[in-house]
Amino acid sequence: MASLLRRAGQGARWAALGLAVLLSACSEQLTAPGTCPDFCSPSALFLVDTVLQDAIAQDSSFGRPIGYVSPHNSLALLAVSVPGRESRAIFRTIPVPARLIVGPDTATGAVIGVDSAILRLTITRRDTSAHNLTLSLYALPLAIDSTTAFHDLDAPFAGPVVRSVNLDTLLARPGLKDPTTGDSATVDAVNLRITVLIRLDSAQVPFVTADSGKVALGVRVSADSRANVSIGSGELGSLLNTPLGPIVNWFLKVDSLGLNVIHPPARLAQAAFDSFVFDPPPQPLGGMLVVGGVPAARIVLRMALPPLIRDSSRVVRATLEFVAAAQLEGNPADSFPVVANPVVADFGAKSPLNLKQTDTTWITIVPLDTVRIDVTRVVGLWATDSLQSTTLVLRQLLEGGMFPELRLHASADVAQRPKLHITYAPRYPVKP
Amino acid sequence: MRSMRRLALVAGTLIAGTRPVLAQDSQFGIRGLGTPGRWESVRARTTGGAFAAFDATSALADAALADVRALTAAAMGASSYRSVKAPGGSANLRNGRFPLFTVAGAVSRRLTIGGGFTTYLDDSYEVVTRDSVLLRGVMVPFRDNFASDGGISDIRIAAASRLGTALALGLGLHVITGSARVTAMRTFDDSTVYATVRDSQLVRKTGFGVSASALITPSPILSIVGFARADGQFHTNVDDLASGESDLPNMVGGAVRLTLSPFARMAGSVAWRSWSNTAPGAYNTINWSAGLEVGGLGSGLRVGGRGGKLPFGPGGSAPSEWGVAAGFGRTFGGGHGVLDLGAERLVRDGGGLHEAVWTLMFGLTIRQ
Repeated sequence: MASLLRRAGQGARWAALGLAVLLSACSEQLTAPGTCPDFCSPSALFLVDTVLQDAIAQDSSFGRPIGYVSPHNSLALLAVSVPGRESRAIFRTIPVPARLIVGPDTATGAVIGVDSAILRLTITRRDTSAHNLTLSLYALPLAIDSTTAFHDLDAPFAGPVVRSVNLDTLLARPGLKDPTTGDSATVDAVNLRITVLIRLDSAQVPFVTADSGKVALGVRVSADSRANVSIGSGELGSLLNTPLGPIVNWFLKVDSLGLNVIHPPARLAQAAFDSFVFDPPPQPLGGMLVVGGVPAARIVLRMALPPLIRDSSRVVRATLEFVAAAQLEGNPADSFPVVANPVVADFGAKSPLNLKQTDTTWITIVPLDTVRIDVTRVVGLWATDSLQSTTLVLRQLLEGGMFPELRLHASADVAQRPKLHITYAPRYPVKP
Repeated sequence: MRSMRRLALVAGTLIAGTRPVLAQDSQFGIRGLGTPGRWESVRARTTGGAFAAFDATSALADAALADVRALTAAAMGASSYRSVKAPGGSANLRNGRFPLFTVAGAVSRRLTIGGGFTTYLDDSYEVVTRDSVLLRGVMVPFRDNFASDGGISDIRIAAASRLGTALALGLGLHVITGSARVTAMRTFDDSTVYATVRDSQLVRKTGFGVSASALITPSPILSIVGFARADGQFHTNVDDLASGESDLPNMVGGAVRLTLSPFARMAGSVAWRSWSNTAPGAYNTINWSAGLEVGGLGSGLRVGGRGGKLPFGPGGSAPSEWGVAAGFGRTFGGGHGVLDLGAERLVRDGGGLHEAVWTLMFGLTIRQ
């Protein structure tokens, strides 16, 4: 019995040795350079590159006169003064309470005036080639709203300037502060933003009790050339959870129950309404495909892909090719991205977008002939999920925050209809 | 007995942990149906395959089951280290496989049945190529990966009967089935503009075959086996859609064994297979082997060599293959268990490609 057990123990050791031999090769390495065609599979991937003339079954644009994003809900307030385009940012602040707490208890005193105020504006985009960029403030009527048009404010903007700030001069000062005017600036190099703090005295922004302290101001921009800035709006601040819209810091005077006048800490007054007015007014869409501009327009395309591509191919590259119907306005700094998104479901102009599959094409301000917009991921999605709706939407980033717009010929213009240039790989033919 | 249970557990682990049973791969199999498997246990393979037709734990000749009396199970593992040299480059490859499991036992005094599975074709590889293509007026460089991971197993049920001291007959039925995940991927150097193409399909193949063999022992010294096998057709499904059929080869062969003494045996075998009708550019093959075993049946030293042709390759002639092998066995558990260890060196040449393979083998046989 002992001999039997000893032999079994030896066997176990041999088994362990054998297992060790096997485990030494448990990780596979099968990749070798191919010597084709002799030592490769007779099947091969091949690509088809073709232009589908009829792939766009239906096309249309939406967004005028009511845009997907309009000036009053845009993320940017545009102040522009270039030949052929004038735009001015406008805003109205929220009211200030008529009474404020004046002591350690709940006793309040009436607001009786203002010492001064600081207007905070955040510049989110500017043309750095513009020199002597100057922001000028104008007092506006409190009645401004989303229906206010450019020429409705001709008189206020023809009036006296409340304050003006030469941004180049301010940014050149030590510490970005002007001790004379009290203006200052901070530069966020990461997010490419400039915050401008403009000090205003009580004569420039008088506290009008009858108006509950509301104030309406307009911002006009000027420069030696290419005066073009975007100012952050309240909507942008809400989106990023950061105060980026126009804000007035009131330094108020409060009656302390007949005793000394109290100077409480600054009272913030955000914009209750902000927008911009511009001239010339937006062009109607007409029979063209339009993407971008103000109000923001979108193009909705219903595609008809051949079953071979949709059901059993892999998309390598897909590009929409449009013939431009008009040239872009602006200068190179106005270049903008156009984003293609598939829709979750096709409800026409109000189709919800699938934001996970995005193709982005930068449109530069150059003379246009053929406009090519990349839709590789979108068409690739359709080729991998045949249940997806084959409708896509083209939109501008940042919608409603840039004046340039693409105007393209639609499929109704048979000679210049848009096409789909697609490169795809048919199914890999497995050897039987 | 506890050690026996432990070894049984090891055997079970080996078998349960197997991937689809695969033998060693070869670049020569990529263009064809795959690389043919060897239906040989470690004992037979370390003699170059010469003893496979007489070995009940191999799956070559069913008649060899006739002399199995006790319930016997055998499993095998192999690790291959392969160097490939071709005009397009060279590579060192490795893999680990469990290419064989057999079980057999007597159901009556004259009848033994057996079965198991072994590799019929191996179809695992990955090749990488670089090229460029003209797209929209621009030459675009890319890299292609073509890979297959899988293989075809031969599941066998066989019966053998000894009709007298000089004659035993065997018959087997075979289900030839398996699958491979075939993947093709093209990655462009500029992947920001051109999307990667990735196509993956599951290829399933199924066929049936029959085998028959006769073991003649005219004298205690001499044994002769004749064996034949006819396999039908592969029915191929790609992603569960029928995609075609292809013929499978037939085989005939024979082997001779000389028992020189109770402690020395030598054998030789030859087999012909009709691969030429299975795929374009395939060749019929003749393979031979010769081997020597010295020592007891379970614990001898073994050496052998083999040579012949491979069925798939470029050009006007079949690639050639030759190899040598050696190994030994050791019994344990009072003769109820046999451990076999071996090593094999194979060299393949054809169409400018040179392939050299070292294979380490481990076999475990347990008898009731």
